[in-house]
This record gives sequence, structure tokens and C-alpha cells, in this order.
Amino acid sequence: MKAFRYLLLANARQFLREKAALFWTFLFPIFFILIFGAVFSGGMDNVSFDVGLVIEDDSAIAQNMSDAFGQVTAFKMTSGQRDDELKALQDGERRAVLVLEQGFGETIAMGGTANISVYYDPTQSSSVQILLPIVQKVVDNIDRALSGSTPRVQLNEQTLQSHSLRAIDYLVPGILAMALMQLGLFAVAPIVVDRENKVLKRLGATPLKRSTMIASTVVFNLIVAMMQAALIIIIARVVFHVPMMGNWLYLIGFIVLGTLTFLAMGYMLSAFAKNQQTLMPLIMFVQFPMMFLSGIFFPLEMMPGFLRPIMDAMPLTYLGDSIRQVMVESSAMHAHLINIGVLAGWFMVCLIVAVRFFRWE
Amino acid sequence: MSAVIEVKNLRKVYGDIKAVDDVSFSVAEGEIFGMLGPNGAGKTTTMEIVEGIRNPDAGKVLVLGIDVKHHPRKVKTNIGVQLQTTSLYPRLTVREVLKLFGSFFPRAVSGERLIKLVGLEESRNKRCAALSGGQQQRLSIALALVNNPKILFLDEPTSGLDPQSRHNIWSVIEYVRKKGKTVFITTHYMEEAERLCDRVAIIDHGKIIAVDKPDKLISQHFQEQAIEFELGQKIGEDELRSLASVTNMLLEERKVTLYSNSIPTTIMALMDMAKQKGIELTNLYVRRATLEDVFLKLTGRRIRE
Repeated sequence: MKAFRYLLLANARQFLREKAALFWTFLFPIFFILIFGAVFSGGMDNVSFDVGLVIEDDSAIAQNMSDAFGQVTAFKMTSGQRDDELKALQDGERRAVLVLEQGFGETIAMGGTANISVYYDPTQSSSVQILLPIVQKVVDNIDRALSGSTPRVQLNEQTLQSHSLRAIDYLVPGILAMALMQLGLFAVAPIVVDRENKVLKRLGATPLKRSTMIASTVVFNLIVAMMQAALIIIIARVVFHVPMMGNWLYLIGFIVLGTLTFLAMGYMLSAFAKNQQTLMPLIMFVQFPMMFLSGIFFPLEMMPGFLRPIMDAMPLTYLGDSIRQVMVESSAMHAHLINIGVLAGWFMVCLIVAVRFFRWE
Repeated sequence: MSAVIEVKNLRKVYGDIKAVDDVSFSVAEGEIFGMLGPNGAGKTTTMEIVEGIRNPDAGKVLVLGIDVKHHPRKVKTNIGVQLQTTSLYPRLTVREVLKLFGSFFPRAVSGERLIKLVGLEESRNKRCAALSGGQQQRLSIALALVNNPKILFLDEPTSGLDPQSRHNIWSVIEYVRKKGKTVFITTHYMEEAERLCDRVAIIDHGKIIAVDKPDKLISQHFQEQAIEFELGQKIGEDELRSLASVTNMLLEERKVTLYSNSIPTTIMALMDMAKQKGIELTNLYVRRATLEDVFLKLTGRRIRE
């Protein structure tokens, strides 16, 4: 027990006195959150689109239409003549121009289908992707009003957004999962260095038990994982108001399980690396596919289907999913039990391989 | 005196190489026992098997009467080990490392006492990475003494050190022996073996070829003394060998070693020959035979090539 305590202390001192380790463990994930957070929230949440409106019809329906668009807070509406507005679009002063042609109201009154023309620049795909669904929504609402069920046009802008999480809400749990993965994988680097420098051999010449050695490393990394998680959650909450909605105990449980899984994976990799120079590429080889194919930065639905089997095999997919479910109550990709099962499975496999192949010298 | 280390018919094979080939010896309580041999002779492998950190293929090792193979942790609790190359935790200080290693044993000597013993007072709060080679080696010996061991194992403790550091370490070793501890040391330095060791085992190609007190080993193989010099020009080996009182000789490039049982006679004959043939002799000196000469005689090679 005395040896365990002193080894823990030695681990902590070695760690705290290495600036690079501190940077990668604590500052790197925070940078990630701040940068991505700035990109997503600055760019998307407070944006308003300049939209030109050309009304060439003087019917009441056309007027209703105009009012309805005016209520969309994401749109800054400008009314004007067709030629002027299209020119403004070409000059980049408008994101889109909507045109209600003459006879719009009459066509509807006659029971026909009236067209609203939308002019936009297809190369501005990012804004168009947001703009068109909103226009569609407004038109749908009017349409429904005209078919008789509701008399007034009611634009409920909330329904446009409430189905999806904010990008930052999606991202933060993923970053936390990624940070735990990196912690676990890189935690073995000092052990490989110690092996290379014969420190492990020297420890082997004392009565110290190997189990004590491993236990101190595992406990130390669990402590660091908790600190890392706390820091990420606090920064995300203070700066971007990312909530913690679920049960803290579940969250802690997943952090522990995730850290153990990736520690075991790290030990497994270190069993196949002669020294630090061969260990690093090995870790990179494992961590980069996981970073990008585990739905950390963007939902897996956005990825091409042929990658699906790979994504479904990665433990980070499941850790990210479970932390996301607990933290921001995202819709579940898998049930918790499946997530736990897959992570525990990876843990066991890595552990068995590590125990079989790990060399102390 | 009773034996604290007993090694019987030890064998260890790596692939085709017999690293340790049927080695037997014993170390008495309180003595400094040295194992002398070139790199790759099997010194380190033998020592590490005795320490219990390497398994032999065959043979039996008793340390303090305990079978190492069956009770390695019991042995490790009572011995102190210094490995050939250990760079320790680079970001821990001398004091912190001593405390850490002390925690591995049921009873530990205070760090301050060990710091004083090896003369690291000035560096007690320095990080290991900032220590010089000699200081690291002294710390390494302090760590080996942290459990107040009955036997101290030192694997080439002065390898690569400057003469000043080497002398520092020698006096630490002598002090430790004065305290009644047994020391088992490997080295490839003749001076080290001759100065420190009560008994020396000469080992080559995994086999012990001679064990005795250093001066006994020398006198047993050489009654004569050695004359060394360098030749200004080449000369036939036979001519040198036939000089008066020369019993044996060695010619390496231009460097000559003549073993003679009557130094004055040989010197006179050598001078006469040199004058006659107009040969220049440089760096000439006379010395008594050393363990190096014994090794040379027994193996036909120098210990450091």
C-alpha cells in the first residue's frame, strides 16, 4: 500500500512536470471545443439572411405571404422591383430573392397551383441549405392554411430547430470521448520509455509486485480522466451553455469504462512496440481512424455507407454515443446496454492480448 | 566464513550462444567478489540470474541460503541491485526517487543518510535528468542500498566514468564492505578488480577460467615482470624472443610486451640489440604483471579490444 501511494505520487510528479503531457491532456481538448464552438455558434446561431421579396400581385394572399416571410427572424426581408432585387442578388447583397408573380392570388382562388420563384446562387451551398427549408416551411404553412384547416398563417420557427441539437451540443460529448481515448492510448508511452530505459527492469529487482505497478498507473489515469472530463464539461457549460442533462453517476461510469478500455488498448499496442519511436505511429494508426469514423465531429449518417462496418466496430463510436446520450440526451444510436457491452468486449480483448504479449524488458 | 551466494552448474542459452556455460562459484560473507571479463563474456547474465531477474536454463542458485528460483521476492527483499544502465525517472528529484524506492521494501534506510553516504548532498533536490553520469551512478548505488541489503550487486559501476568519479565510487564500495556487507561486482577494468576485489573470477565465453585472489592469480601465472615499449621499425619476433631471460612475449603492431624473469638482464640485452641495429625504442617502461596479463595468457586476447 505504501508502494502504491508512492508510485501514484511519482506518476503525478512525472506528469505534472512534463509540459507536453499537460498540454495534450488538458489544453488540447479545450482548444478543440473553443475553436469548433466559435465556428459553429458564431457562424450559425445568430445569422440572418438578406432575402429580397418581389410582389407583383396585389391579392390578399400575396400580402399574407409577404407578412409570413417577414416573421421569419432568420430573414432580413427587403421588398423591391424584380430587376433591382435580382441585381442585388448578383452583387451578393441578397442570399435569395423570392418572386410572387402577377396572377398568384388569382391562380389560387381558381383552385390552381401558384408558383413562388426562388432565385439563389447554388455555389453558396451552405446558406442555401439552411435557407431553402425555411422558405419551404413557410410555403407549406400557407398552403395548409389555404386548404382550410387553419385560418391564419402561423409560423412556428422553433419546430425548425428543435429536432436537431446545436452543433456544439453534439460536439462536446464527442470531444470528451476523444480526450479519454487519447489519454488511455498515450498513457502507455511513459511505460514504454521506462521499459526502454530499464526502469521496469530495475523495479523488477525489488520486491515490488507488478500488479501494484499496474494498479497505480490505472488509478492515476482514472484520476486524470476525471479532471479532464470536469474541465471539458465546465468550459463547455460556461462558454457555450452546453447542458449536463443526464445522471452524473452514469457519466462517471462511462468515463471509467472508456478510460479502462482505451488503457487496455494502449497496453496492447505497447506490447507490439519495441520503443517509443515505434509506439507513436502505432497509436496514430489506431487513433486517427477512430477520431474521424466514430461520429465525434459529425453524425455518422453523413458518412458514406461503405464505411459503416468500420464505424460500427470502433469502440469510440460507442463511448461517444453513450456520453452524448447522458450529457445532452441526444437520440440514442444504440441502447446503453449495447454501448456498455461493446466497450467491455473491447476491454476484455485488449486486456487478454496485452497480458499475453506484454514484455517487461 | 559462510557462503552467502552459491551457484552450481548454471546455464543460459540464447539461440546458438551459450551466454552462461556451466558456471559454478560461491561468494563468502563480507568479501568483495569480482567477475572480470570482456563485454559479452556472460558477466551480466550470470549476475542477473543470481539477482532473480532472469531465469536460468539449468543450475541452482542459493542467495543467503534461499533458492532464488522458488523465492525470488524473498531474495530481492534482502539484496541491493545496481543495473548496468538505468536512467531513472528523469523528472523526479534525488530525494523523491530514494523515497519511492524505499517504499518498495518493508524497512528502508533514510534518504538523507544515503545521500550523505554517496556524497550527493549538493544535488539532493536536483532532478535525475540534470545529474552527471557520475552522480547518476552514485544515486544508483544509493538506491541499491535503500533496503540496507546484506549483499550488494554492482554491474560495471564505473563504466564510462572519469577517474575522479571512479575513485568516488570505489571509496563508497570500500565503505560498504567495511560495514560488513558482501559485494558482488562485475567489471572489465583490471585496476578496479585488482584494487577492490578480495577474489576475482575471470570469465570468458560464458565459462569461468580462473578464480582466486588477484595477486595469487598473477603470481600463479607470472613469476616474471613485464617490459613494454614501442618499436621505431619492424623487427623479427624471434629476435626479441631470444633475448636473455625472456619467457614470453606479445607483439601488437609496433607495441611489444616482453615477460622476463630477470629485468636487468633483459633490458641490457635489449639495449645492446637496439644500438647494434639502430632501432629506436620509445615509451619503454617496466611493470609488474597484472590481471590483464593473466587474461591475455589464459585467453590469448586482451580484455578490451
